[in-house]
Amino acid sequence: MNELFSRVIRVQWSGLLAVCILAVLALTIVSPNFLSEYNAFVFLRSLCVSLLVAYSQMVMLGVGQMNLSIGALGGLVAVIVGGLMDAWGVPTLPAIAIALAAGGVAGLVNGWLTVRTGINGFIVTLATGSAFAGINLGITKAIPFYNLPADFVAFGNGRLGPIPNLLIVPLIVSVLLVVFFSRTVTGRHMLAVGGNSHAAELSGLSPNKAIIEAHALSGLLAAAAGILAVAQLGSAQPSIGADWLIISFAAPIIGGASLAGGSISITGTLLAVVLIGLIQNAMVLLQVDPYWVTFLLGALILAAVWLNRYRAVRVGED
Amino acid sequence: MNIISRGGLAALLACSVASAPLAAVASDNRIVLTPGGPHPYFAPWEQAAADAAKDFGIAAVEYKVPSEWKLELQTELVESSAAQGYTAFGIFPGDAVGVNSVVGELKSNGIPSVALGGCAQDPTDMAFCMATDVYASAYLGTKSLIEAMGGKGAVVHLAGLLVDPNTTLRVQAVEKAVAETNGAVTLLQTVGDTDNQEQGDQKINALLAAQKDQIGGMIATGYISSVVAATALRNLGDKRIKFIGIDDDKIVLDGIRDGFVAGTMAQNPYGQGYIGAYALDLLAGGCTVKADAPFIQTPQTARFIDSGTLLISADNIDSYGDDLKKLTGELQASFKDKFLAC
Repeated sequence: MNELFSRVIRVQWSGLLAVCILAVLALTIVSPNFLSEYNAFVFLRSLCVSLLVAYSQMVMLGVGQMNLSIGALGGLVAVIVGGLMDAWGVPTLPAIAIALAAGGVAGLVNGWLTVRTGINGFIVTLATGSAFAGINLGITKAIPFYNLPADFVAFGNGRLGPIPNLLIVPLIVSVLLVVFFSRTVTGRHMLAVGGNSHAAELSGLSPNKAIIEAHALSGLLAAAAGILAVAQLGSAQPSIGADWLIISFAAPIIGGASLAGGSISITGTLLAVVLIGLIQNAMVLLQVDPYWVTFLLGALILAAVWLNRYRAVRVGED
Repeated sequence: MNIISRGGLAALLACSVASAPLAAVASDNRIVLTPGGPHPYFAPWEQAAADAAKDFGIAAVEYKVPSEWKLELQTELVESSAAQGYTAFGIFPGDAVGVNSVVGELKSNGIPSVALGGCAQDPTDMAFCMATDVYASAYLGTKSLIEAMGGKGAVVHLAGLLVDPNTTLRVQAVEKAVAETNGAVTLLQTVGDTDNQEQGDQKINALLAAQKDQIGGMIATGYISSVVAATALRNLGDKRIKFIGIDDDKIVLDGIRDGFVAGTMAQNPYGQGYIGAYALDLLAGGCTVKADAPFIQTPQTARFIDSGTLLISADNIDSYGDDLKKLTGELQASFKDKFLAC
């Protein structure tokens, strides 16, 4: 038993898992409605977009870069998919395919500019983020696209018991990312470049290629998040993505990704998104004074990070 | 210059002279209407600007939107427009206090400005503020909600941005309307910062998941909060919970038509833009604000003009546009005599 516990505690994300379990138990005791089918659905649905956003940044952190344009890119893709379906009458699946491609291309542009100019991706994506947001506003003039196909909106609001349809997408993406980073050459190259770009180059890898590929993947994931947000909200709002930046960094970093690159945790990121979602859900269930919600959210996230850090120190990870 | 081009020039001049009376304008003023940032609430300002220019013969009335909700972007837009020769400004303050700096600059250069849609905090050089009386709107909305609930039950207030001073006024108004029922209606919860699609969706749905059986009615006092709540109630298929929103977004209006929304408090953004442009033209032409004008005193300013509000329900959903136009027409017709000395 002690050996099992010792093994579990050595897993990087075990602290987060423990905090999540504790949070679920506490919420179940304090608010019986927490485990109701509808609340479970609402809670799980709130994770879907956040998970893809977090993965989008996690990919960039893995290669030792940052992408500040995730929210703007996701917002642009959201209005593209909405505009295609509403204004141009494009059927759902082709519209999604075009929007995803647009996200991938936008990511490629980010990567190409970063590599070509030699300027840090932080600065490049700061600029392109502004450009993407500008195109978004130019297209919409801040007015959402409302008339989306019924099947698309129904998918966004549909569920099987407490499981939202939307959850299928981030779950599939999670599995694909695990395979990508652990089993594919491209994925391993990205982490190698992120871990030590110079050593990777000396080993015959191309850091530029890895950076461009990471940006393209990040753009694709942000695009998927934007499309999911449209399906969830039932309209293509120009404001989609406006507040993604914090969770895009918070979740992968709480989950164990290194800001210096080369180390990411998909399970850790997933648990971090779950934890943040639990805390946000708790704020409403426990009727916290609205003026103190932001403070409590920050304090509880800090407490969770500290707990995970305490575990890491105890098992000698540092 | 050959004879053909001379003939062409002569013809052009003749045409321009002949058409001059048609193109002539009553004033040379060039006016800018600028919101704090992109938001669908302000979309009617664009039409209001075009209509005001046409109806009052103003040289130009333009609707210019800062690219983001940042005071510095709005300030840059106003300053660069002033440098280009614009002569008056209708501004939704990106920050009620922060905006006063640029407004002071404008005044010191002889350029008048008025606050539209939301007020600047006194002391300010804004000539006046024309906006919805948010306190009255939230109070009337809550009274309508209580009536729709049959005078009893628990109410939830879905509030907008907590950093917005208007939110505090709305919270107070909802509390007052609830308190007047002497306990028959209780305020179950106030949920803040719901005026953002994604945050609002998460918070409002979590609220419904946890407490929908206890909730008798909901009032939203933010544009996006109303849209999200109307969508949530439709998705839930719940017509028992009575809901009053704000503004006339298509989703909210569809909710009224289908019975998921009891009503929504219409504001008058078109009237704010239209009358605002009219007043700015007069102010830039030399009129001044009357010292004894019948302004309303609010916590933010001593020179407040209510641009009007009304409840849209199933009864007037097809005619409320005419009601707002009538309201705007009445306000504009008496505006000069009531508020300005020309």
